[in-house]
Amino acid sequence: MTDCGCDKAKAELEEFLHRELSDQDAADVAEHMANCADCSHEHLVGLTLTEKVRKACQEQAPSELRERVLSALND
Amino acid sequence: MTALLEAPVLGSDTLEGELHSLLMTTDDTAAPTEAPKKGAATKALFEEQALQYMDQLYAAAMRMTRNPADAADLVQETFVKAYQAFGQFQQGTNLKAWLYRIQTNTFINNYRKNQRNPYQGTIDELEDWQLGGAESVTQHTSTRSAEAEAIDHLPDSAVKDALQAVPEDFRMAVYFADVEGFSYQEIADIMKTPVGTVMSRLHRGRRMLRELLAEYAADRGIAVPTPGAKK
Repeated sequence: MTDCGCDKAKAELEEFLHRELSDQDAADVAEHMANCADCSHEHLVGLTLTEKVRKACQEQAPSELRERVLSALND
Repeated sequence: MTALLEAPVLGSDTLEGELHSLLMTTDDTAAPTEAPKKGAATKALFEEQALQYMDQLYAAAMRMTRNPADAADLVQETFVKAYQAFGQFQQGTNLKAWLYRIQTNTFINNYRKNQRNPYQGTIDELEDWQLGGAESVTQHTSTRSAEAEAIDHLPDSAVKDALQAVPEDFRMAVYFADVEGFSYQEIADIMKTPVGTVMSRLHRGRRMLRELLAEYAADRGIAVPTPGAKK
């Protein structure tokens, strides 16, 4: 096994994060990160960003909206 | 499920064509807001399957319209349109993604034209320097772990404010990928854009977001050196 190097890993980190890489490419990036503090930290920033955005964007629709929608469907 | 076949005929030859014409209409400000009469079974099925996504659609609508009143109106219109087109929804495919397609289209047709956006239609073609604040992030390892920690400690309000400052197409790509977990192909379908554009929007949106959050953290004295040379 040969390390794919920082250039490939950095270029593909975002696709790695979003699970858009092929199994082989994902394995290459994961293998590189296991031995590269720089890239694994970069990945950590990406993961943290995703998790923060996901949490911050949780919203509950106002309770009256459901009634409004149901009534609009009945019209 | 014969009730599903009671969908209104829009004058197209195929179901796909009907859906396409319904979703692609560009001047439907006067679109009917009342659903046609349908069978009780169809209505029950729609309510059971679609209404469960109200919170998510509302959250996305908040990111699109930026205010609760418009967000609620947008979600209501989305459900009414989805109900009208429900006969063309293919059971077994991704209903949430289908609803998002309708909501995105409704937003573009009915709301976006009312918002002032100097970049409209050209945002993907702008260079990063024209967008401002999106210079490349080049940092050292120690700084990056501090950055992750600083981001982790930011309040939700700061994250939402930063998102609102990101141009709409980039913001929604980030939303669909990071909040909803849609695949790039699903986002491409929702936003009606090639996968390559989705990747570019995501990349630029996330980079801008990261910059904005680093600035916010620095302004609040949350210890993380901002990337690049800030004044």
